[in-house]
Amino acid sequence: MTDYDVLVVGAGIGGMESALKLGDMGYRVLLVEKEASVGGKMILLSKVFPTLDCASCISTPKMAASIHHPNVTTLTYSEVGGITRGSAGRFQAKVTRKARFVNETTCTGCQLCETACTVAVPDQFNADMIQRRAAYIAFPQAVPKKAVIERAGSSPCSYTCPAGIQAHGYVSLIRSGEYEKAFQLVLDATPLVGTLGRACYAPCELECTRGSIEGPLPIRRLKRFIADIHYDKFDGPGIEIPEPNGHKVAIVGTGPAGLTAAWQLARKGYGVKMFEAAPKAGGFLRLAIPAYRLPSEIVEQDIANVTALGVEIATSAPVQDLDSLHEEGYEAVLLATGTPLSTKLGVPGDELDGVLSGVAFLRAVKLGEGIDLADQRVVVIGGGNVAMDTARTARRLGAREVTVVYRRTRSEMPAHHVEADDTEKEGVRFVFQAAPVAVLDDGRGATRGLRCSRMAPAKAGASGRSRPEPVPGSEFEIACEVIIGAIGMAPDTDGFSAQVRTNPNGTLAVDPETLQSGSAWLFAAGDVVSGASDITRATGQGQRAAHMIDRWIRGLQLDGFDLRLPVVDKDQVLARQKAYRLAVPLDPSEVLSAAPTDFREVELPMTEAEAHRGAGLCLDCGVCSECGECVDACPVDDCIDLRARDQVLDVEVGAVVVATGFKLFAADLKPEYGYGTFKNVISGTQMDRLLAPTRPFNTILRPGDGKVPERIAYVLCTGSRDETVGNPLCSRFCCMYSIKQNQLIMGALPIADVTVHYMDIRAPGKRYDEFYEQAKAMGANYVKGRVARITEKENGDLVLRYEDIEHGGGLVEAEYDLVVLAVGVQPNSDAQALFPEGDLAVDEFRYVAETDEDANPGQTSIPGVYVAGAASGAKDIADSILHAGSTVAQVAAYLEHAKVPA
Amino acid sequence: MNAPNRELREIVREEPVMRAQILGILRDGPRTVPEIAAAIGSPTHEVVFWVMGMRRYGHLREVKGATDEGYFRYEAIDKEPA
Repeated sequence: MTDYDVLVVGAGIGGMESALKLGDMGYRVLLVEKEASVGGKMILLSKVFPTLDCASCISTPKMAASIHHPNVTTLTYSEVGGITRGSAGRFQAKVTRKARFVNETTCTGCQLCETACTVAVPDQFNADMIQRRAAYIAFPQAVPKKAVIERAGSSPCSYTCPAGIQAHGYVSLIRSGEYEKAFQLVLDATPLVGTLGRACYAPCELECTRGSIEGPLPIRRLKRFIADIHYDKFDGPGIEIPEPNGHKVAIVGTGPAGLTAAWQLARKGYGVKMFEAAPKAGGFLRLAIPAYRLPSEIVEQDIANVTALGVEIATSAPVQDLDSLHEEGYEAVLLATGTPLSTKLGVPGDELDGVLSGVAFLRAVKLGEGIDLADQRVVVIGGGNVAMDTARTARRLGAREVTVVYRRTRSEMPAHHVEADDTEKEGVRFVFQAAPVAVLDDGRGATRGLRCSRMAPAKAGASGRSRPEPVPGSEFEIACEVIIGAIGMAPDTDGFSAQVRTNPNGTLAVDPETLQSGSAWLFAAGDVVSGASDITRATGQGQRAAHMIDRWIRGLQLDGFDLRLPVVDKDQVLARQKAYRLAVPLDPSEVLSAAPTDFREVELPMTEAEAHRGAGLCLDCGVCSECGECVDACPVDDCIDLRARDQVLDVEVGAVVVATGFKLFAADLKPEYGYGTFKNVISGTQMDRLLAPTRPFNTILRPGDGKVPERIAYVLCTGSRDETVGNPLCSRFCCMYSIKQNQLIMGALPIADVTVHYMDIRAPGKRYDEFYEQAKAMGANYVKGRVARITEKENGDLVLRYEDIEHGGGLVEAEYDLVVLAVGVQPNSDAQALFPEGDLAVDEFRYVAETDEDANPGQTSIPGVYVAGAASGAKDIADSILHAGSTVAQVAAYLEHAKVPA
Repeated sequence: MNAPNRELREIVREEPVMRAQILGILRDGPRTVPEIAAAIGSPTHEVVFWVMGMRRYGHLREVKGATDEGYFRYEAIDKEPA
């Protein structure tokens, strides 16, 4: 718990003034601002009225002082949670310092991260007239001038990837045309870019938020796109070979888990040797997945990434004695031997000629062992991906008829639905809810058919799935010469049972966090631990194993692997837009034949245009894509830290100043003026940005087509003094800021005609009326009468229909290039939310109520809580500063009174 | 000009995707917003977002002086390869 005398909420001009004056009096002040910079709305203005002084020139000294004042602690990008009354009349509050993901101490404000960032979002500091980046500095005069990386959480695609691949990141890089960087980002997770670009079942796409619009992005195919481009240009990974670190690690098994672990360790400088029992490296990637899905040369290119870093792979080198490996000097050993064994059918006749296992069959085909199924009838038993691969491979080897027999329904098949669909399209027949009873002997020891029984679902087993049971008397036969069982795979761990504890199903028992198994130096990962899963999960396990092995060898605590932010809420992502334009689906990606005859890849590569179109649909769910461009661009080591997290501070204060300011009227609530519909109808705030030195455009241009406007109209009292929108109050400064803008426009665009449609001009302050007269003298035309309606012409020009009171009161139409709505102000309900007990009173217009406005301005309904500036009602800058001054006096009196003994 | 409005977020998100297309057009010389819009078949108000975003981050710049029709022309900024 940290103590302050005063908590000031909001660092606009009222809040800064309050904090600085209280600090000058010697009070310790905590000033909290939710945006990334202090300064509020004033710093974004062009100039101030009636002096036409530069708004920045007046603001920035106060902004700098609020950061550097010895008695003022300023927290930007922070939010105040509930403020409650504590003991002895003091207040307790929680302040959340939102993670900037940038080290505020070392950030130089160079903006290189912003320039490099690949995510564009509307820029709230430019009234949404232009885009900023997810990595950004609020505005050029920001104090502190430190970058922020906007992160709403992990994007669902990246969060769900079991391989830890930053899917959002590489999609974001692809749409920026940074294909090699996208490839390198995937390489950060795994060397298997080409493999996963083809054979991954893309859980990312299942979670893609776009899936609830017109369908998910083609995230996997985009990965293939960047892999194809990379491998067209490079033989290896295209990275520098790291310096050896003097440590050695052995990896047994060269499937996706082993290869990924080897890659990660080699990148850290480890000397890695891999041992493979088969004659070729790659595990199931090389010896099971058919070439029409995953060409062998792609696997070889991915493996070449690993060997390019010096990893040695010994093939036909089975390992049985793990202790010996350790004694040979390998400080750690990783077991990643997968699930090479097939589950037997377990029915009479399963030893007959013509009965094979799916894994053995696929392996034989991949090793070119000359299997010929010409004119054969083949039955494949099972409903998983291996069964689908087996059936489709059998078709390609000339099988006359291929039938898949599965004991459950189609919707219960563990095979990926695309695999099942494609299998059917290639002429494979499915028999569901049937199970083998016996293999039928042709009398010469060979297979002549399969006897099956119909299956019916029975009660659910421990897994929650129903356990099918035979239907009595339902047996039938399928004539065939070949039966291939693909009903399960198992690890081959008998040889290690003396050194490693195994589970009843033969998998290795490991610590799920560290993947250590048995001895501290022995780790295990992939399907040998999890049982048969998929490439992506095995890849993720390999990555985890490498992380833990590295930390174990370096004597560090075995943690810190999963550093993801919580996943964003997809509903919240979708709610960022009111409507979505539906994308035209990409062309079909596969060429399938009902009678395939070769192993040519069935999926077509994406064209560059398709890749751009696909990647361009990304919704940037997490905002930041985690592409890493900012980290690479930042010249300061470790300045950007995507592992940063929000911090919650508990503070106790003697008094509170609410300086949360106002909100602007949403001009689209006056639909007759067309704001949000007509591109050349803008708000006064937007015009102020166009006039500011840090303007979003190169000059004053109309947003509809970038034309320099020559005829500009103002509509005053938009959302003020207007019962139809529930705001009868005058906003007090719209007339004056419009007059200011009139003068600035005529200075910037000497040929422009400026016309102001008003009810009456309210210019009561010192030199305000003179300022108005000056604008008229410069040529601004003021027309008394309300504007009834605005319509848009084909060329974007606007027709105003208005009442001209001073010239007969008739309805008149006039045409303009650009219309500016002088929007009024509204109360900011954020103030009430600060007090969860609900005791901060508001007036009838919802502004913070001053209980004794005339005698004690600034006092609220809660003793010790004060309001400063426009949070209590519309005020211009000068009045906000004056009001803050009176509030400061009230706060000081309150604090001093509290010191007096009762 | 009267093309239906899309959501702001949707338009600005596309800037990285449109960048190469716009720079490709500017390779043949400076163009105004309406000229770029006609070349890529997009509404002018969306092109304003993309052009101004690209201007902000150093991909293009305006040529001094507006045309008689009141439009600035924009030219690509050649970047040194990384």
